[in-house]
Order: sequence, then C-alpha cells, then structure tokens
Amino acid sequence: MASEIDIFNHYPLFIDPSSKAISLPQSSAYTSVQRSNINTELQELNDLHRSLLSLDPPNIPPPPLPVNPKRSAQITKLRDSGNAAYRKNNHAEAVRLYTYAIEMALARPGWEPVTLAREELAGLFGNRAQALMGQQAWPEGYIDAKASVDSKPVGNVKAWWRVAKCLAEMSRYAEAKSFILKGLEIEGRTSEGGKELVALLEDVDAALQRA
Amino acid sequence: MVDWLSLAVPLAYLGVLIGALATFSSLYRKRKSRKAASLEPWFPAHLQRDIYFSLMHLDPSTQQTEKKLPAVPESVLKASLLRRATEDIRRVLALRSQKQALSVLLQRGSVGDDLWQRFLRAEKEMEDEVKDVVAEANAYAPNWGQTIFQSANEMMNNDLYRKRMDDHQSKLAEERAFWDKKKASIQEGFMKELDTPEESGAAAAKAPEAAVTSTSAAPSVQSDEDAVLVEAESVNTPGSGGKKKKGKGKK
Repeated sequence: MASEIDIFNHYPLFIDPSSKAISLPQSSAYTSVQRSNINTELQELNDLHRSLLSLDPPNIPPPPLPVNPKRSAQITKLRDSGNAAYRKNNHAEAVRLYTYAIEMALARPGWEPVTLAREELAGLFGNRAQALMGQQAWPEGYIDAKASVDSKPVGNVKAWWRVAKCLAEMSRYAEAKSFILKGLEIEGRTSEGGKELVALLEDVDAALQRA
Repeated sequence: MVDWLSLAVPLAYLGVLIGALATFSSLYRKRKSRKAASLEPWFPAHLQRDIYFSLMHLDPSTQQTEKKLPAVPESVLKASLLRRATEDIRRVLALRSQKQALSVLLQRGSVGDDLWQRFLRAEKEMEDEVKDVVAEANAYAPNWGQTIFQSANEMMNNDLYRKRMDDHQSKLAEERAFWDKKKASIQEGFMKELDTPEESGAAAAKAPEAAVTSTSAAPSVQSDEDAVLVEAESVNTPGSGGKKKKGKGKK
C-alpha cells in the first residue's frame, strides 16, 4: 500500500527550450480522447505557469487574502468612468467601458477569492445591462442581467428587475414573471426594489391577460 | 499410565479441526486481499498528478536523446503542483459529499461491501496524496504548504464561476437571433394590420388618439384595437423605462 503513492502513469512530455511550454509530442501512442484531455490540461498548465511567472520572486501564489489592490483600483476606475458616461446618456461609450472592466475582472488570477470576483462582476454586469437597455438592446441586456443575478442573487434587486424588464420588452411575459417571482422570493416585497418588482409584476400580469 | 490409543482419536479430531480452520482462514484472507487489490479505483487516473511526476522525471530520462534539453524550471513544477492540488480539492470534496449518502446506503444494505471498500481505499489514498502535496509545496517555498490548498480551492471555484459566466455569454448569439426574428415578425404583423383596411391604418397612425376615440370608429376597427393598444404601450414604455433608469444604474 505504501508504495502506491509512488506509482504514476508516465507521459512522454516535451518542454520547449525557449518558451518553457510543455507539450505532448505527436509520435506518442494515445487515443484521440486521451490526447485531447492531456492537451487541454497542458494548455491550462502553461497558462497557469505564465501567470505564476508574473509574480514576485518566490513565484508562488500568495494566500487568497489580502488581495493585490492594483487590479481592483483599475476596475473601479473603469466602472466610474462608465457610470459617468452613462449619466451623460452616452450609452455606447458606457457599454465599452463596462466591457473593459468586465474583461479585467474576469482576468483576475484564479487564486484570488471567488467571492470578490462575484461581487465585482455582479455590479459590472448589472451596469452593462442597464446601459444596453438604454440602447434598447434587450437580448444583450437580458444576458448580462442574468449573469449578474447568477453572480450574486441576494441584495441584487435591480438586476432581477432588469432581467424581467428585458424579457417583458421582448414580450416573453411568462419567463419575465417567473424571474420576478424568484426575485421577490429572495428580496422580499417591502424593500424599495421589491416595490418596483411588484409594479413590474402587475404590468406583466396585465400583458399576460391580454395575450 | 496414559492410554495413548484411546487418546489418539480425540487428538486426531482436534488436529483435523484446527488444521481445517487454519487452512480456511488463510485461504479466506488471501482471497479477500486479492479481491481488494483488484477492486476498481474510485476515481479515474489523476492526470494532473501524472503530469507532475512525468515532469519531475523528465530531465534525467531525456538526456539520451538530446543534450540541449533544459532541466524543467521550478516554476513549471510549481504550476503543475498547483494544478495537482486543484484536482485534489475536487476529489476530496467529492469524497466528502459522497460519504454520508454512501454510509446510509450501506446501512440499509442497498449497496455492497465492495463499494464501501473501494470508497475507503480512495479516502485513504487522498489523505496520502494531500500530505504528499503539502510536503512538496513546503519543499519549494517555506510555508507554502499552509496556503496551497486555500489557493487551489479558490482556483477551483473561480474556474467553475468563469465557466458559468462563459455559458451565459455564449447564449448571446442565440438570443439575439431569436429576438431579431421575433421583432421582424411583430413588425410584419403591424405592417399587415396597417396596410389591409384603409381607415384603420389612418387610426393606427394616430395611435394614442385611436385608443380614446375607438368607440366612435367603425366596427371593423374594433378588432384592431388590441394591436393598437399594444403598439401604443410599446411606444410609451421606453420613455417610462428611461425615467426609471435615471434613479437606478449607479451603484
């Protein structure tokens, strides 16, 4: 039993002398499924290696907390300029800025806490949804609002409202209603956002009756 | 004087009995251990671990082919170890969530003992594996062993989360196509309704008034009233939505 820990399947890997990228030579005999599994794994490994190289000398990921504040600051800056553009009704510009911020937040290194990424992306997706709705791009807004809700279901009543609003605009009232009910379940009817959800629910119900 | 002859029978009896028991026990144990060894492993092969060890063993074995092949840099090994830790976390969590259900099933007799044996073995293997990873991590950098699994855990969760977000965004084209089609069909519907009866087309052009004055309009317009109402609303809503948005949007 003790020797079992030392047993492993050997793969004839190849390391590129200059880029240090690991790859599996073509000649080795594996089925195509195995080969693609190994190759995706190696791809991830090489990506991780590159992100490790950008770290400080010991080249190990720091503990999840505290977080490196640089990226957060940049994201906040982008979001603020996005908000400013939105306030000036420059929706296209706002969408562009929010998109940059989202890309940056998605590119956070994996070892940073996932709760942070969720929090940030929930806000960013929500804002981009709003800007897209300003352009009447309902399907895009719907997708973004849904991503926002999925990132952070609690305390995100605006995003629930946006999902339902986009669906209602696309005359998908039944779906809109189910989202509103879900949102109300989580947020409660008494909060300010809850009231707006209730108002939207009435509209949707009226539309359902007509249909 | 002992009567050996009369004692021989019970002694022989005892000998046969003990012999039979001993043979049975040793056979049984042998068979059991063989069976345990031949049991299927709980998890499939640990790819990340295999890659890590393959990398560790890469440099000495490849010397014979090309001399210029460099030794594997430590950063690659670290990255590989991190991948291995991530997979370990996934497996440990899987074991933990399965344990409860499995033990209940075992008590009820719904699953065989084999399955439980396989599970216990997997659990023990994972314990050794985790210890091994911690030891390796500490060898690369002091105290890394304490945080490597925290990092690995976040990496796993982040991975899952990113995948979910990708899923959402990948539906975009589909939704867009769906909406474009639907929008076209709605517009077409409007156009038809606008075109066919002459007088109702005039009414629809002045949509808000039409809703109010429809009672005085001809009976043929009556059927169009619904459509007009819908259109009137869809004209209204962007404006009202815009008003609402002013208060929202900023966080």
